[in-house]
Amino acid sequence: MLIREIKYAEISNIYMTKFSVDLTNCDKEPIHIPGKIQSHGLLVAVDKNSLSITYISENAEVFLGEQARSLLNKQLSTLNRFLKQQNPAFEIEDLLKLGIIRKSFDAISPHPVEINGRSYYLIISSSKSDWLLEFEPVTLQFDIQSSIGRSASSMLQGKSISALLKGAAQEVKKLINYDRIMIYKFLDDGHGEVVAEEKEAELEPFFGLHYPASDIPKQARALYKLNLTRLIADVNIPDSPILTFKENEALDLTNSALRAVSPIHIQYLKNMGVYSSFSISLIAHGELWGLIACHNYSPKFIDYKAREGAKLIGQILSSALEYRQEEEDTAVIEQFKNTANILQEHLNRDKYLVEAITTHKRTILDTTKASGVVIIFDNELKTIGDVPSEEEIRELAEWLKTNNDESIYHTHRLSEIYSPAKKYKSIASGILSCVLNKEMGEMIIWFKPEIITTVNWAGNPEKPVVPSENGLLNLSPRKSFETWSQVVNNTSEKWMAEEIASVLRIREIIITDINKKANEIRLLNEKLQAAYEELDTFSYTISHDLRTPLTSIKTYAELILKNKSIDENGQKMLGRILIGADKMNFLIKEILNLARVGRSEINFETINVESLLNEIKSEVWSAFKADHSELILGQLPHIKGDKTMIAQLFTNLIGNAVKYSAMVDKPKIEVSAYIDEGETIYAVKDNGIGIDNRYYDRVFELFKRMDNVKNIEGTGVGLAIVKRIVEKHNGRVWFESKLNIGSTFFVAFKNR
Amino acid sequence: MKTPDIFYVEDDVDYAFFMQSAIQEVKDTLNLAIVEDGTEALQKLQNFAESRIKPKLILLDLNLPGLSGLDLLKFIRDIPYLKTIPVILFSTSDNPDDVKASMEFGANAYLTKPDGYENLVKCVHSVHDFWFNQYLRLN
Repeated sequence: MLIREIKYAEISNIYMTKFSVDLTNCDKEPIHIPGKIQSHGLLVAVDKNSLSITYISENAEVFLGEQARSLLNKQLSTLNRFLKQQNPAFEIEDLLKLGIIRKSFDAISPHPVEINGRSYYLIISSSKSDWLLEFEPVTLQFDIQSSIGRSASSMLQGKSISALLKGAAQEVKKLINYDRIMIYKFLDDGHGEVVAEEKEAELEPFFGLHYPASDIPKQARALYKLNLTRLIADVNIPDSPILTFKENEALDLTNSALRAVSPIHIQYLKNMGVYSSFSISLIAHGELWGLIACHNYSPKFIDYKAREGAKLIGQILSSALEYRQEEEDTAVIEQFKNTANILQEHLNRDKYLVEAITTHKRTILDTTKASGVVIIFDNELKTIGDVPSEEEIRELAEWLKTNNDESIYHTHRLSEIYSPAKKYKSIASGILSCVLNKEMGEMIIWFKPEIITTVNWAGNPEKPVVPSENGLLNLSPRKSFETWSQVVNNTSEKWMAEEIASVLRIREIIITDINKKANEIRLLNEKLQAAYEELDTFSYTISHDLRTPLTSIKTYAELILKNKSIDENGQKMLGRILIGADKMNFLIKEILNLARVGRSEINFETINVESLLNEIKSEVWSAFKADHSELILGQLPHIKGDKTMIAQLFTNLIGNAVKYSAMVDKPKIEVSAYIDEGETIYAVKDNGIGIDNRYYDRVFELFKRMDNVKNIEGTGVGLAIVKRIVEKHNGRVWFESKLNIGSTFFVAFKNR
Repeated sequence: MKTPDIFYVEDDVDYAFFMQSAIQEVKDTLNLAIVEDGTEALQKLQNFAESRIKPKLILLDLNLPGLSGLDLLKFIRDIPYLKTIPVILFSTSDNPDDVKASMEFGANAYLTKPDGYENLVKCVHSVHDFWFNQYLRLN
């Protein structure tokens, strides 16, 4: 003990400098090798090979009437002379051998023996290289089996989990008759809550109280999983030390029922006023679910068979809990799976993703127990249920995008991690987000509202440890068990594992659907591309083939017209044929030009726009007989592009400017350019009739002509060609216009 | 065989007819020989070479059935006796690719077929003025 105390002092020094002292220090205590047993029984350990006595508890003298030390290193058979058995021929080493052959002592323990006229149970267990033989008094006078059966069946009548727990507490109390029986459940963070209680009327209730995780240290929890019951008969009786000649080898008492209790735990019980304590472990899915903790306010020993009975009750309760919990979980899982199936059907049937998962009776909201959900997809934001404002959601999504690399993220205390969420914690203290596309910031976020709860602690779990008189921190367990209430806010209901599994399931479905649809679009796009190219080839060929017969028609008409014998009427008709043929020829030429832009590859070169415009000017001015129109040239920086196409582009734009301003008083066409952020932007401005802004979107469409130009010759192809050329150059084209004031067309070329 | 002033290869009988009238209108003494397809033209060109007949000007339609105008041009440029004759490619196409290809193959000019008879007459006029007057003077 002295050694351990020094060790504690050292630990406390370390902790003191770090200012984080709490009872987690208990975690460091080696409770499985206390070197002592509780003195209500006798412990003998024999070497597994030699069967000689290697350890014996000092109190052997009380039971056997012979000094413990004198028995050390003697053969096990030495004990036979103290034991009286029902079959006198049967010796203790035979019993041990029987267990070794069977590889289990389950059927042998407890073995009844008589020592000095008193009845004892012999319980055998293993400890590394030794066998542990423990003798404890028989106190139960009747057979307990029948009452255990009754207890189990009445306990299982409880339909809900809480009724089941309540029933279990009642039955355990009947069986062992302790003053207080509590069922204690471990929560996620390791702290415990009393979820059922059965007690003597005069005692203060502990039901609903929470106990900090440090009250039951880690290694104690590990032992609870190995030893399903644990009795501390009397906290005030001094323990009996274990004697041995193997000085530096402490006997491992993991499997011992008599194992002495940690002094810290004894102190803890004493502080609570408990004299005797008994616990039964509750295991669900291989984990410690909780404990049936029994307290008595006077010393109390429980007979081995009654303890075994209580253990059985605990095991029955454990499997019932497992089953009931599974039943409840299965219902939830089924509902989530069902929702996923329905949404998948909607996705298969509906064209648009967001519509499919939000507009039907069953929605994406039903994949969890959330009260609101938002889908951010395709830059659109769609919400269902209670959610923060759009702006708040956008900010939250941005934060999630930058601070989180996982595809799934969840918290039930959002505002403590992300402070802007404080404003809307009442609707979104819990979030569960799932990323659909990280680059695009596409995701789904489910929201759970804040739930303000009050947690009653059995003593303030954060109360600092008080330094003791010698200046060291006091490592004895806490003394105050006064109820300390804590209001827990900023917190939503937790996200269940089933909800997260459900979200992963629906995420998989949605991503598969997105990929499927993207693939469909890609195929459609390829088809469209092919059709587009085919159309270009078609229009090119057809226009070309149309020109030859058209030329013949026109030329024959002209030749006939030369014939002097044709009368005036005939000449008129031939004139109409010529006009028609000219119109058709012009149209065909334009379509050829348009198709050619689609078919040609761009041949990038540096273009001297000024000299290009001078060529175009003479061409356009003679074509439109525009002698009275003025052309003003401003800054004309070089650009990179396909010379033929760019010439065509400016011919069309300047041609339009001339054509649609010819009727004004002083037609004026201005061409200038400026450089802006990697682009050279050319502007072609006229003071002509202008374009009605209502038709803004239709101006660049093929064969579209505005109402106010019906009387002006035109095909409606020119601007479509301009647009195609600009698109081929990855540039932009737009215009500004006012009716009867003029239009300005802008073309932005990328600086390369 | 009489030496033609102009040797014209044209599969479009209508256009051949127009050309005939236009040339007569420009100068009725000009002698025009027309063939309608590439193979026949090839035959004729070989005959020219063999019998030492040299037309003053060759007009080739670009798109011909069988051998194209460009094929004929290449052939002309490969025969030493014929290769000095001026050749004009004459086509409905104004596709820059066609123009470029023709010049690369050694055409002396590329003319887009004028639209209408009056324009054709004007075109023939200028061709005549250049290739029969100016051109000769230059030589």
